Amino acid sequence: MDIGFVRRVIFTSIGRKFVMAVTGLALGAFILVHLAGNLLLLKGEAAYDGYVALLLANPLILYAELGLAGLFLLHIATAAWVRWEDWRNAPSGYEERKWQGGRTVGSATMLYTAAVMLAFLVYHIIDFRFGDHSVGFYRMVTDAFRDPVFVSFYVAGALALVLHLSHGMQSSFQTLGLSHPKYTPFIKFGGLLFALAMTGFAMISVYFLLELDHKKVEHHYQVAATEAR
Amino acid sequence: MSDKKFGVTVRAWRQAGPGEKGRMESYKVEGVDPDMSFLEMLDVLNEDLVKRGQSPIAFDSDCREGICGCCGLVVNGDVHGPDEHSTVCQLHMRRFRDGDVITVEPWRVKSFPVLRDLVVDRSSLERIMAAGGYVSVNTGAAPDANSIPVDKDDAEEAMDAAACIGCGACVAACPNGAAMLFTGAKISQLALLPQGKPEKAKRALAMVEAMDAEGFGNCTNEYECEAVCPKEVKVANIARMNREFLLANFLSKR
Amino acid sequence: MKLDAKIPSGPIEKKWDKHRFDLKLVNPNNKRKFDIIVVGSGLAGAGAAASLGELGYNVKVFTMHDSPRRAHSIAAQGGINAAKNYPNDGDSVWRLFHDTVKGGDYRAREANVYRLAQVSNGIIDHCVALGVPFAREYGGLLSNRSFGGAQLMRTFYARGQTGQQLLLGAYSAMMRQVAAGTVKVFPRREMTELVIKNGRARGIIARDLVTGRLESHAGHAVLLCTGGYSNVFYLSTNAATCNVSAAWTAYKKGAGFANPCFTQIHPTCIPRSGDHQSKLTLMSESLRNDGRVWVPKNKGDRRSAGSIPEGERDYFLERRYPAFGNLVPRDIASRAAKTEVDAGKGVGPTGQSVYLDFRDSIARKGEDKIRAEYGNLFDMYHQITDENGYKVPMRIYPAPHYTMGGLWVDYDLMTTVPGLFAMGEANFSDHGANRLGASALMQGLADGFFIIPYTLGGYLAGSKLEAAADSDPEFGRAAGEAEARFRRLLSSKGKKPPSELHRQLGDVMWNECGMARNEASLKRALVKIPEIREEFRENLAVGGGAEELNQTLERAARVEDFIDFAELLVRDALERRESCGGHFREESCTPEGEARRDDAGFSHAAVWEHAGEGKAPLLNKEALEFEHIKPSERSYK
Repeated sequence: MDIGFVRRVIFTSIGRKFVMAVTGLALGAFILVHLAGNLLLLKGEAAYDGYVALLLANPLILYAELGLAGLFLLHIATAAWVRWEDWRNAPSGYEERKWQGGRTVGSATMLYTAAVMLAFLVYHIIDFRFGDHSVGFYRMVTDAFRDPVFVSFYVAGALALVLHLSHGMQSSFQTLGLSHPKYTPFIKFGGLLFALAMTGFAMISVYFLLELDHKKVEHHYQVAATEAR
Repeated sequence: MSDKKFGVTVRAWRQAGPGEKGRMESYKVEGVDPDMSFLEMLDVLNEDLVKRGQSPIAFDSDCREGICGCCGLVVNGDVHGPDEHSTVCQLHMRRFRDGDVITVEPWRVKSFPVLRDLVVDRSSLERIMAAGGYVSVNTGAAPDANSIPVDKDDAEEAMDAAACIGCGACVAACPNGAAMLFTGAKISQLALLPQGKPEKAKRALAMVEAMDAEGFGNCTNEYECEAVCPKEVKVANIARMNREFLLANFLSKR
Repeated sequence: MKLDAKIPSGPIEKKWDKHRFDLKLVNPNNKRKFDIIVVGSGLAGAGAAASLGELGYNVKVFTMHDSPRRAHSIAAQGGINAAKNYPNDGDSVWRLFHDTVKGGDYRAREANVYRLAQVSNGIIDHCVALGVPFAREYGGLLSNRSFGGAQLMRTFYARGQTGQQLLLGAYSAMMRQVAAGTVKVFPRREMTELVIKNGRARGIIARDLVTGRLESHAGHAVLLCTGGYSNVFYLSTNAATCNVSAAWTAYKKGAGFANPCFTQIHPTCIPRSGDHQSKLTLMSESLRNDGRVWVPKNKGDRRSAGSIPEGERDYFLERRYPAFGNLVPRDIASRAAKTEVDAGKGVGPTGQSVYLDFRDSIARKGEDKIRAEYGNLFDMYHQITDENGYKVPMRIYPAPHYTMGGLWVDYDLMTTVPGLFAMGEANFSDHGANRLGASALMQGLADGFFIIPYTLGGYLAGSKLEAAADSDPEFGRAAGEAEARFRRLLSSKGKKPPSELHRQLGDVMWNECGMARNEASLKRALVKIPEIREEFRENLAVGGGAEELNQTLERAARVEDFIDFAELLVRDALERRESCGGHFREESCTPEGEARRDDAGFSHAAVWEHAGEGKAPLLNKEALEFEHIKPSERSYK
């Protein structure tokens, strides 16, 4: 039994980047589903809590959660390894250095956006996953979203995600070798759109912070009242 | 012509030998002609230093027409100087003005140790080539050149990759000191051509492992390499290398 | 000096086959016991190292660069000839042979040229197999173009970078042998001495250019693949470090130097802009397909090109050579430009250039078409001169480019020193007095890949070679000589850096022994060169130490060799009182000023023999016989 190919995945530059890319794309898929779930907050308490109940009723949920945690850990571990190596090998000592236009804000800040997201993630898990669920999930989330301190943290996390994905999406395709003169421009554009869609997290939280849900409800009531008259 | 002449100050990296401590030193150069190349300006400075009994600034350069890949300097923070997609030997002094202070540095990469002043040791790239940057065919064994047709688009793409001059600018410009563009270009060139296909899996695995062993950084897909490459070698070659490596790792018998 | 070319007997088509059969073979298991020293890693050197490594020899390759891939073969732009006849336009081995002998103005050895044409096709096959990305047609087969006045399309090319691609191909084949352990590359080493033991070349002394240390390397044969000597003119299209030193060392150790006066001047170079100029840049001569060459009719006309009306322009190539027009061969185009400039009609800030005008082609074909064909050359021109060739005519002037002369070799590529071989531009070559475009790459690869693997085996198997080791006294003596030389150069406490003395030498060579030569100018040169040598001895400034990376010291040694060599070149030019190919003696021309060959007096290779320091060299002659291609006058009218 030759495990050379496994060794190469772990111990070569491209192997590690492969793991980063695959886990990154999987996490991207997860975050998209997460965003879709969050959109149910806009539908109201019944819709959202129903969705959460459905998820929790799935017998595989624990394994899914463990798998997700695994993806995160792999992504973080390989990234840390890659970055540590880069830090050791990077050119250093230039008196002057100009970037030539290859770097983007997203690519140059991957490490920082990662740090922000990691901090957010830890808090998010403690607060929501292991938090007090007694008031119901909808109430727990929306209550948090009415706290300006929490929302600013949440928005920062979402923006970090946008920046991270603005580079990360197209980067993972490049790493997997999925490059083609015809399709790569679409991949890059699609990656940017995907990243921008992540502002949805921020918008939902701001929606509740500004109590737009109440206004909507009030408006609804007003309409109902008018009709009743 | 002489009325256009001007003076600049060169701040150059001086280092006596491998592993020794270096420092930046300033030199005034007068009588700079705008039609001079940048390296000719350094020649003038060096002649002057020799006349004054001082040690001239060592730098590599040979063909001075942008093809041999010998030269490579960081000028005012720009790899190969401020001109886009050209080697530093093609940089001319008309790019500068009277009184300019010009910072000149070597490639500062761990895998390219400085030998003296602006001269670096790029033999790490040679070892990557020796690991598999070739087609294993003996002299005299080849079939007729036209016996294997090659898709013209593939041949053109292979030529785009093969244009690499091995100057190391991609490494010097990479935020991580990676040699992916160099290695990717060779793997890509030979993977595109039918002549290189029989051993492409072996080649991709061996060259990437050799590259890693030399202590180059990883690729974070920031494409600074493509932005400075004097021969405009594209990062699509890195993607092809990644693909070849992964296919070789998971699907070949190796 | 005994000159035996060892041309095999029999009909010319069978000579090489017969010779390969006659050559003794080295048993496959014995090959690894032979150490072969290859100096230089261009097409000839890398090709030889690769093919000898494949055979199992133990090869050591020395290059003065940081990588073998930097050799100046890399700069060749246009292409490589072969007699494939893929375009179906009537090419054959015989025609390539014929064109090369005629193009060389009947000063090459027929048997060698025939063999070159014979192996040319194998080169293309091998290079394609090595992954050289030659230009192709849509059908997937190789593309050909015409080149350098040839009447058919036999040139294979890889954009404007054919030399680069071929060198990288040969280099990759060599790196494969490095991985296999048969070839060891010694980068940043410069050969400083040839070591002779019992009359045979048995090794070299090389200087490690980083540490300055001198190293002894013993072997069973030494192959010099060290290129040409155009830099004797200081300004040339050659790379900055190209030099004659290895060949010169061999000459001083007994190798005959043939036809040093055969130098090629390329017509389409970017003119120099001032005294600071360190080298000249060539633009492919394909530009002459669409550019028209002209100067103002009136002397000293300082108007801009655009304001000179049609009637006051002299399209001198079209006027003088109506049949070939702007496409006359290199030597003729170069001399015609010189004639106009000497008559005071030169243009540009220095007055040392002529126009190459694309106005009419742009009007006829459109700028886009011209851009598609020559865009990279226009860009290069713009980068160097800051002028837009689409809007104003380019300015061009001839520059030294290639040297047909070199170490004399026999049919086996062996010099007059047994065990010392010379290949590529370093030997006196198959190009006679003038090389055709796209033939240099062909010759370098032919020598390296296809000829030396056979002839070297024949030498090794046919000779009784006693043991030789780095520790032999011959090596110690040679290293001592090299060390003394560097010490002497370093002890000089003058005021002139070697580059300045090199420039002085170049001025003399260009003015007195350049595109046109006459007895008076050559005799002047023979006075001036010793003066420069004297100044070199008295007034050289080097600085630094021997045991360090010292580029001024390297340069000083090369310039010293160039000074000595220049004298031999001039002497050869003086001796050859005929015009042929790149060598133009003003005394030997037709009433219209065209070159006139003197077959009765000079149908020979002039082979110079070192007679000792301070003594006049001895002239030996190898008579050239033309059995198949009868010399005729070259006319392009």
